[in-house]
Amino acid sequence: MGASIPQLLVNGVALGAAYALIALGFVLVINAVGVVMAGGFVAVTITEYLTPWANDNLPDLAFIGPRASAVGLGLVILPLTMVVMAVLGLLFSALAYAPLRHRPPVSVFISTIAVGLILQHGANAVFGPEPRVGPPLVVDGNFALGPITLSIQQLSVIFAAGCLITGTGLLLSRSQLGRQLRAVAQDPEMAEAIGISAGHCIAITFALAVALAGSAGMLLSNQFFVAPSDGGLFMLKAYIAVTVGGWGRLDGAAFAALLIGVFEVMMAAFVSYVMAEALLYAGVLLVLLVRPSGLLRETIQRRT
Amino acid sequence: MIRRVALLTVLTVHLAAVTATTVNAKDAYIPILVPITGFIALEGTAQRNGAIQALENAPEGVTVTYEVSDTSTSPEVAVTALHRALERGKPVAAAASIFGTQMLAMAPLAQRAGVPLITVSGTAKLTELGNPYIFRFFPGDGVVKVAHARYAVEVLGAKRPALLYQTTSYGQSGQAQLAKILKDLGAPLVFEEALAPSAKDMLPALAKLRAAKPDVILLHLHSGPTALAIRQAREAGINLPVVAGSAMHQPSTAKLLSQAQLSGVCAESAASPISESDAKLVAFTREFRTRFHTEPDAFALAQYDGINMVLAALKDGANNAEQVRNWLASHTFEGLAMTYKSDGKGNMAHDALIVCYDGASLVPTIVKRYHNVDGAL
Repeated sequence: MGASIPQLLVNGVALGAAYALIALGFVLVINAVGVVMAGGFVAVTITEYLTPWANDNLPDLAFIGPRASAVGLGLVILPLTMVVMAVLGLLFSALAYAPLRHRPPVSVFISTIAVGLILQHGANAVFGPEPRVGPPLVVDGNFALGPITLSIQQLSVIFAAGCLITGTGLLLSRSQLGRQLRAVAQDPEMAEAIGISAGHCIAITFALAVALAGSAGMLLSNQFFVAPSDGGLFMLKAYIAVTVGGWGRLDGAAFAALLIGVFEVMMAAFVSYVMAEALLYAGVLLVLLVRPSGLLRETIQRRT
Repeated sequence: MIRRVALLTVLTVHLAAVTATTVNAKDAYIPILVPITGFIALEGTAQRNGAIQALENAPEGVTVTYEVSDTSTSPEVAVTALHRALERGKPVAAAASIFGTQMLAMAPLAQRAGVPLITVSGTAKLTELGNPYIFRFFPGDGVVKVAHARYAVEVLGAKRPALLYQTTSYGQSGQAQLAKILKDLGAPLVFEEALAPSAKDMLPALAKLRAAKPDVILLHLHSGPTALAIRQAREAGINLPVVAGSAMHQPSTAKLLSQAQLSGVCAESAASPISESDAKLVAFTREFRTRFHTEPDAFALAQYDGINMVLAALKDGANNAEQVRNWLASHTFEGLAMTYKSDGKGNMAHDALIVCYDGASLVPTIVKRYHNVDGAL
């Protein structure tokens, strides 16, 4: 058991990193429009279907080599699927948010679930119910560090997720677009008054959120395969991360997501899966009871 | 993918045509109430396809109307689907969900309505309810788990088996049977752990399993979790023989694993259509591939056989649900997978087999057949 602990930790961090990507999407939309994009699970599901399909059907890329022996095909598929998912995010915004933007937040909350379910069942009908496996990000296999064996894919997931999380943070804090997105999130009417299109910024936020959730789907599709209902499972954990981390906080969501991933894996290893699940939800209840604003102070006071 | 869209369109048009009109009183009406979305969609889709193939090949003189309703994953949706089917016309029988939780919910309603449910659900409790309208065409856990345990102990020589099973009713039913049978065989479990269908990282369970020093790994998991457990075991350097549940015989499960990972992996099942050389089974498999563009599995074949037995009853003169029920309860039927006969509780299938992968092919080989092994050692 002792020799497995480093790999267990890596697995926990990798799982948490994937949760974090989904949770960041949640936070972006919460900050922009004040509601949870509950139907965002569809991004995970569709990407998990799309990446195996892309792996099987993309023409051989000369600079990578024949598909069968391709090293790094996942590095090509990751940005491609994020672009496709960004387009889906725009569609999501147009279908689930725009028509209801003047209604109470709960209407948007429900409409995102409805659109998500329609798209998920559509994907199930088109791609079929068979489980699938996506491509590794770089290459399959393990490498040994003395008595410790580590999975290359899991380390790749951690690295890629770290880059995407950092990139999102930099985009929001250092770029003009990020400043506009934050301005709209803070006060859409004032942002409109100084010439920023709130509608466009909200659509871009949805695109970014869905692309991030999609990247998580791609990163998970190799190690954990793909099943039609997987998106909802991952979204639930991301939602918990947002709640525990501090409503509306990117750093809180990422931190809590990592914590959840490691907690799940280590508790399953040292107690049991059933207890890990039960203790996770007990922990969430405890946080809500003792520190209802989350582990880090929440920036958004209204929860839907 | 274009083929799938075309198939979906055909099925949708067919469904629309069926639902747009009232059921023809002269036709026998057989609804197909199976999960084609959700975590058990793979097995439910196999059921649907097997039932459709049987109904599309109904014997001369038997005219059948059918429709497909998705029961998804909740008991409520399954019961609603059965309600709607009953409102549409009196079915002579219904192809019903593989998901035991849904079957347990549908069973009382079917009994009140007097409609036989033709299922491939393995949940043992289903035929212990005393409900005369349940007919199970896939061997229950009382059959397949005997084959599962006996192969591990008698053929592989296991003395210290370890088990990973699902937390669902399916998993708990199989775990109870395996634990008892293995104890009776003198090889009690040295480790067991329940996994929720949502569990993705199996390494924690595998690390504990390795620490228990087993000599064989038994799996009783759904399709995706079965492949995950085997892959992560092999990646963790656990190269013990694996005897898995029926999910591992499914071609779509095998496709998730490399040939090297499949080496030393066996599975219990009722049948393995793609492994058979019998001419009728080869013809069934060929038509199934052409019709649905996917490989048939034991669930598809069992549902095909079950619906064919209903059609045989209709051909033999049964013309309402009660007569079909009586015919199913009293006759023997030669199906493609095996010979079916009720044991008085609605258990129609009594044979099981073991398939193994040789590490060089994704098509498993049938290595052992067990006949009439209902709870018998």
